[in-house]
Amino acid sequence: MKIKLLNILKVTLAAAALSSAATLPAAAAELADIQAANTIKVGVLIDFPPYGILNENNEPDGYDATVAKTLADDLGVELNLIPVTGPNRIPFLLSGQVDILVSSLAISPARAEKVDFSNPYAAIRIGVMGQADLDITSAADLAGVSVAVARASGQDTTITEIAPETTEIRRFDDDVSAVQALLSGQVQTIGASNTVMAQIRQIAPGRFDEKFTLNQFRLAIAVSPDAPELLAYVNEFLAGVTASGALNEAHMQWLDEPLPSFNE
Amino acid sequence: MYDFNFAPVFASFDTLLVGAWLTIQMSTVAMVIGLVLSILGAVGKTSGPKPVRIAINVYIEIIRNTPFLVQLYFFFFALPALGVRLGPNQAALLALVVNFGAYGTEIVRAGVASVGRGHIEAAKTVGLNFFQTLRYVILKPAMRAVYPALTSQFIYLMLASSVVSVISATDLAAAGNDLQSQTFASFEVYIVITAMYFVMSLAFSGVFALIGKLAFSYPLNR
Repeated sequence: MKIKLLNILKVTLAAAALSSAATLPAAAAELADIQAANTIKVGVLIDFPPYGILNENNEPDGYDATVAKTLADDLGVELNLIPVTGPNRIPFLLSGQVDILVSSLAISPARAEKVDFSNPYAAIRIGVMGQADLDITSAADLAGVSVAVARASGQDTTITEIAPETTEIRRFDDDVSAVQALLSGQVQTIGASNTVMAQIRQIAPGRFDEKFTLNQFRLAIAVSPDAPELLAYVNEFLAGVTASGALNEAHMQWLDEPLPSFNE
Repeated sequence: MYDFNFAPVFASFDTLLVGAWLTIQMSTVAMVIGLVLSILGAVGKTSGPKPVRIAINVYIEIIRNTPFLVQLYFFFFALPALGVRLGPNQAALLALVVNFGAYGTEIVRAGVASVGRGHIEAAKTVGLNFFQTLRYVILKPAMRAVYPALTSQFIYLMLASSVVSVISATDLAAAGNDLQSQTFASFEVYIVITAMYFVMSLAFSGVFALIGKLAFSYPLNR
């Protein structure tokens, strides 16, 4: 019995080693690889309207996809949009499953240790929204209050940092589940972006109001640290579309407001 | 090539242990309650009155033909609309029990069906009442016959519990996801929690083998 178990373990470990060797990551593509492949694989969110959505043809769309399309056109290569989620987007980039992330990724020092950020291409304000009868004006008032956040999002990081010990932070896989938790009364408040808060107001007018602002996040395009030329190219591209007004136009199209200022 | 760095994972290993402990607790409680539910379901389905049999069949068909994830969402997001508000861990436990009950009922029912009619008639002849017949003549051999199938369903329950983090329950997978989102050491975190699930499965299998030996090795040691 003992020997048999040991054998099973050995086979299992060998299989695990084999499969990990097979799936483990080649380095992400550099500019020349993308041009050689004539395709750029861009990771975009599909659960973060209006930055990343699925359109009526079930294809990724939104502000990020529009920026990605402009970038692909600028490069003169085919665009391959690959849906990613908040928690898995950085692993997707580091494992080479996408070449570049245009996935509303907020610049943060911890993330900058893993990926290289371009200059910002958008900015999001995040805040805490809650049931209208709650008297909350600052993070300190969150003591004993439940807050829904999307796991690994900017609001998750910020609230985890500034909320009192007794705050019950409930982490969901995406904004949709967090909003559902708020609407169904499973949580009292939510940490969310200005766009999500606008949607909540639309769905349930008057039930919730914005309590306070947490932060403004600058969103940037992320590339693998092994791709300095790609990063330089993206920055040049962003400077171009900012100057030409194309970026502002895309922002007007999807968010109904001009591109916010990044210099704060 | 990706540089593996397990240091940040092991620095926060205690958060993973807390998550693993919740997974073990939740699975164990779900197994016990689920087993009771399965036995009741199997008895009801084989010897209950017609309305009970129909109700049990409807329950089994609904649960076995819908995804566990959807059932989980139902217990967490839809029940508050009916006035029942469960916390994420309670809702997860309830979903696990209800899900297991449907599969377990069918497994136990198969065991009950394997007991020969003659045995039951013999029990009546020697004067055993309904509950004595059920316990000694039907359930014990039935459970012995389906014990392997039941234990693999138990293990499956424990592994399936890894999706409960979608309703913000704080199990091992949730602890892993949280740690992954803080350290970005995703490969390392997933490798470690995979190993933890594997060890937990082996441990549960060991306990089940022991229970099987103690409970079902008759008549060899009697």
